[in-house]
Amino acid sequence: MALALLLALLLITLISVYLFFVHPWWFPAVVALHGAVLDRQFSTALWVLGGLFVAGQLLLAFSIFRARSKRPVIYSRGNWRFEISWTVLVACLFFWFNITGERVWSEIKIHPAATDPVQVEVTGAQFQWYFRYPGPDGRWGRTDAVKFAKPNEGNPLGIDPDDPAGKDDIVSASLVLPVNRDVDLTLRAQDVIHSVFIPAMRFKQDAVPGMSIHAYLRPLHTGTFEIACSQLCGLGHYRMRATVKVVSEQEFKEWLKLRQSVTE
Amino acid sequence: MSPVTEHVEREKKPKLGGGGPGKIPFRRGYGGGDEGEPFRRDDFLSSRERLRRFRIGMMAGIISVTMLFAGLSVVYIWRQGTGRWDPHTHVAIADWHPLTLPYRLLFINTFVLVLSSVTLELARRGLLRKAEFVTLGILPPKFHTDLPWLSLTVLLGFGFLGGQLLVWNSLRHQGIYIASYPSSSFFYLLTGLHALHLLGGLLALVYTLLGSWVRMKLESQRIAVDVTGWYWHFMAVLWIYIFALLHFARG
Amino acid sequence: MEQRSPITAQIAVESLVRRYIFSTDHKVIGLQYFFLSLAAVLIGTLLSLLMRIHLVWPNLTIPFIGQIKPETYLQYLTMHGTLMVFFVLSTVPLSGFGNFFLPLQLGASEMAFPRLNMLGFWITVLALLVLLAAFFVPGGASLAGWTQYAPLSAIPAAGPGQGMGTDLWLSSIGLFSIASVLSAINFITTTIKLRTGGMHWMRMPLPCWTWFVAASLSLLAFSILLGAVILLLLDRNAGTSVFVPGGLVVSGQTVERNGGSPLLWQHLFWFFGHPEVYIAILPGMGITSHLLSVFSRKPVFGYRAMVAATIAIGALGFMVWGHHMFVSGMDPYAGFAFSALTTAIAVPSAIKTFNWLGTIWGGRLRFNTPLLFSIGFVSLFITGGLTGPILAQPALNIYVHDTYFVVAHFHLIMAMAGLFAVFAATHFWFPKMFGRMMSERLGKLHFWITFLGAYAIFLPMHLLGIAGHPRRYSELTGVHYVTALLPLQRFITYAAILTISAQLIFIVNFFWSMFKGAAAGANPWQCTTLEWTLASPAARYGFGDHQPVVNCGAYEYSVPGAESDFRMQDSLTTS
Ligand code: HEA
Ligand code: HEA
Ligand code: CUA
Ligand SMILES: [Cu+2]
Repeated sequence: MALALLLALLLITLISVYLFFVHPWWFPAVVALHGAVLDRQFSTALWVLGGLFVAGQLLLAFSIFRARSKRPVIYSRGNWRFEISWTVLVACLFFWFNITGERVWSEIKIHPAATDPVQVEVTGAQFQWYFRYPGPDGRWGRTDAVKFAKPNEGNPLGIDPDDPAGKDDIVSASLVLPVNRDVDLTLRAQDVIHSVFIPAMRFKQDAVPGMSIHAYLRPLHTGTFEIACSQLCGLGHYRMRATVKVVSEQEFKEWLKLRQSVTE
Repeated sequence: MSPVTEHVEREKKPKLGGGGPGKIPFRRGYGGGDEGEPFRRDDFLSSRERLRRFRIGMMAGIISVTMLFAGLSVVYIWRQGTGRWDPHTHVAIADWHPLTLPYRLLFINTFVLVLSSVTLELARRGLLRKAEFVTLGILPPKFHTDLPWLSLTVLLGFGFLGGQLLVWNSLRHQGIYIASYPSSSFFYLLTGLHALHLLGGLLALVYTLLGSWVRMKLESQRIAVDVTGWYWHFMAVLWIYIFALLHFARG
Repeated sequence: MEQRSPITAQIAVESLVRRYIFSTDHKVIGLQYFFLSLAAVLIGTLLSLLMRIHLVWPNLTIPFIGQIKPETYLQYLTMHGTLMVFFVLSTVPLSGFGNFFLPLQLGASEMAFPRLNMLGFWITVLALLVLLAAFFVPGGASLAGWTQYAPLSAIPAAGPGQGMGTDLWLSSIGLFSIASVLSAINFITTTIKLRTGGMHWMRMPLPCWTWFVAASLSLLAFSILLGAVILLLLDRNAGTSVFVPGGLVVSGQTVERNGGSPLLWQHLFWFFGHPEVYIAILPGMGITSHLLSVFSRKPVFGYRAMVAATIAIGALGFMVWGHHMFVSGMDPYAGFAFSALTTAIAVPSAIKTFNWLGTIWGGRLRFNTPLLFSIGFVSLFITGGLTGPILAQPALNIYVHDTYFVVAHFHLIMAMAGLFAVFAATHFWFPKMFGRMMSERLGKLHFWITFLGAYAIFLPMHLLGIAGHPRRYSELTGVHYVTALLPLQRFITYAAILTISAQLIFIVNFFWSMFKGAAAGANPWQCTTLEWTLASPAARYGFGDHQPVVNCGAYEYSVPGAESDFRMQDSLTTS
């Protein structure tokens, strides 16, 4: 029995180690700023906690295995020196790890280096994403979903028709971004909570009705990437998908012009 | 090594873990607190033990009720802080509508409740004294010193609830309903929940009151009154707290 | 142990209804809770099976149910989570085994308030019925998940099942909260007042400690949940706006609400929710510590450290709720505090793990089924727990939040570890409950399949999460990179089908042993605690007229120089 447990635990440990270090399934390639930092942090996590995992399972397996022997039982009610040192050790490890993580967090959330960012307003509605660009005047038109929202008449966000600032606003079903520019996303929701999740950019932020939440990102590679809604928002949650198209500055300008002509 | 088992003849049916009304002789460490102790002669130790036990239970209950109202107060303050979110400008606009409370009524109710707390305390003390007579082996005085106080408390209690009804009425006459403003929602919620909890205590009192006619065991009655007393005082304090909250944090 | 006392005569005459249905006997109530949870866990497991099947074969038609629609999947998901968290893991370990064995281990013959106890149980039954009723109302059960985030849960128009189904969900949870508070009062009073002579706090068996702390947590946490549920019910039915902001348009209709805050619900829910998960696991921890000591014939390694860790976990449990809300739009600065506090709570858990290993170390293990499941608990707890500090880092949480990584985390540490403790306790205390032993052979078989199965199901989920697979996706067809993960999902489903069908072994073993198992002696495991001084099954009147007096700690195994390798807590031999 002891042998069986030993083998089972070894098997589990080996398979886990295999899966996590050969990783047949893994992160998508990172295409945004901060992504690299996050990945590094994650691999530190794997080393620290994976190490504890292996140590723990092996220790368990071994102490079971060695208990087969008919040695007399060691009568011990505990050992303060061991416990204190173990506690201090783990505490230091966890907190060191935690602090490195907090650094990354403040880097991403607290001081995002935003130099004349591209303004995009992201609105979630069951079960569709809308992306609004302020247009040449750089100002959003007022919106009032209650009064003006007419999805089938090309005004899903309910932009106030008699607000000049809203005339040139561009509403798109897919997010188009210039590469290597800071982007300032303003997240909103029309009905329930949704969440913008762009795995390739290691980006996630809930869009909460009754709030406008700012989030920053900076694409580093061109290409098309998927957005998945990752906050349960009803029966269509699983198909609330959109795409991010990262293009060169040039193409971005052209795209804006194109959409401009469409809206006027 | 395998566990110790006994050989048995197959047809032996397993007993479930026993069962029954739980009327068990009382001992230190025994359970059955809320069921009396029919087989017990010397009531003194046991009844004091039971009293302690009930008081601890009541303390726990009071803690949980405190938690409930603490939570609601936090929500109240929070909601006062966050205003209405305006879809046009995407900023929150303060939308807290201070209520004009019917202060006279409220003060009268408060007075009634505090008074009832006092009368209940008197009843409690009365019973305590009687229980001491018993423990000294002397028969307690025939007349129920506590009865008038107890019934008076019950009356005052119902008086308070009636008063609260009047308060809600007066708000309704102002056209203020639970959904009218955030402030009114919280007013109805807090006062309503308090009234509900008070009703619970009131029913307990009525029960003991009847108990003293249907010759409930004196010391059970005493315990009931005692812990209900604690609860009742807590209800009074809680009410004063709610009143203060509604007044000072009315926005 | 058969002694004449007025009660035996009295019990002879009492009616069956009083004895087995509206009983105030803590043992019967414990068993009632146990069977209630057994029913709940079977339904919940069946639902999980259906979920798994739907995920990989979306348009398969299942007998009696037909084809599962996406919304139906979410309803199953909600019910699965709710049943499992509330009616299984907050019920069996605490109310079930706690009711039965807390008084016996403390040397008392009843809970402090038997009638309150009975009331609590019947309210719980009502709560379960109300919850299950949601399946049969128009629109079906709620689909908002066990977390019921507003405004999805606050607006009936937001989806099928968000109407009456959600009202039922909320009422059920409200009732459950009340019941939990009642039984918490009972547990706390019992532990404080009913300890028998000589049973000092530091002599209590560890399960009693964890039951006590868990009860204290539920006393505080469930009151908050009750308040939150009331507020949400008012928002839904009385037109108040605590959680629902203004200017919402749901499926074309405008919502007549104003100024509420969706985040407020999350704060309230998780202020309850995090202590709740520790309510779910603490008794399991206590049981595991107890069993490891019994079956390795060694004292618990670091009893005091265990007690301290239990209390620390309980206290810290109320300060970390924000770690569920890092990406919810909460102020990023709050992230720092919650992250640090969450890391702090990981330390006492690490202490416990270390002491479990220390207890096994150098013991003479008796590989009975309870020990196997306890070892399984430790292994699963380590695996599931170590993903905690990853989730607890706001930065990493950004990516893994609401992905299958979280699902893997809490299934390993809560679902599987928790149930392993329940399995262990069932095998261990079965003789005291039913007077017979469970079959070791079936037990071991069940252990092996479930242990490997648990890893086979939930280990790959980490990879799903790392690949970015969001939770609560009722189909994999919506998002392309998710569709690509189908093979892994399929593997998980195969593993789940296998593991779940293996649970029949347990069920068969359980009911067969109940009637046909070998009759147990009074103390089959040679364990020191007081419940084993009673006959198996424990008689109605518990310790009857001779009250045990405790004169040593609960874990006196293999004391050097003692003639037997265990020393009953109430034994007078001084060595
Ligand atoms: C029993 C229940 C339980 C327990 C005990 C835990 C324990 C922990 N949980 Fe878990 N958690 C849940 C149940 C539980 N969790 C549930 C249900 C959810 C999801 C809710 C939902 O969204 O539906 C969740 C979600 C959850 C989140 C949110 C994830 C998200 O949604 O984004 C976070 C984030 O911080 C978290 C953190 C932790 C941490 C740090 C611990 C720590 O306490 C873990 C401590 C344990 C260890 C650290 C292991 C100790 C072992 C060692 C140290 C190794 C020893 C080695 C040797 C001896 C050599 N949990
Ligand atoms: C105790 C908690 C518990 C348990 C045991 C389980 C058991 C299982 N869970 Fe559960 N699950 C949750 C709690 C639990 N789950 C929660 C809280 C959620 C989140 C809900 C939400 O998102 O809102 C969730 C969500 C969840 C998902 C995520 C769905 C999604 O996000 O899209 C999946 C997917 O596969 C899943 C699968 C399973 C499987 C296959 C099992 C099992 O079937 C594995 C095999 C079963 C067993 C080994 C136990 C069987 C026990 C017995 C038969 C008897 C024992 C009982 C007694 C002795 C009384 N669960
Ligand atoms: Cu939108 Cu999920
Ligand atoms: Cu948590």
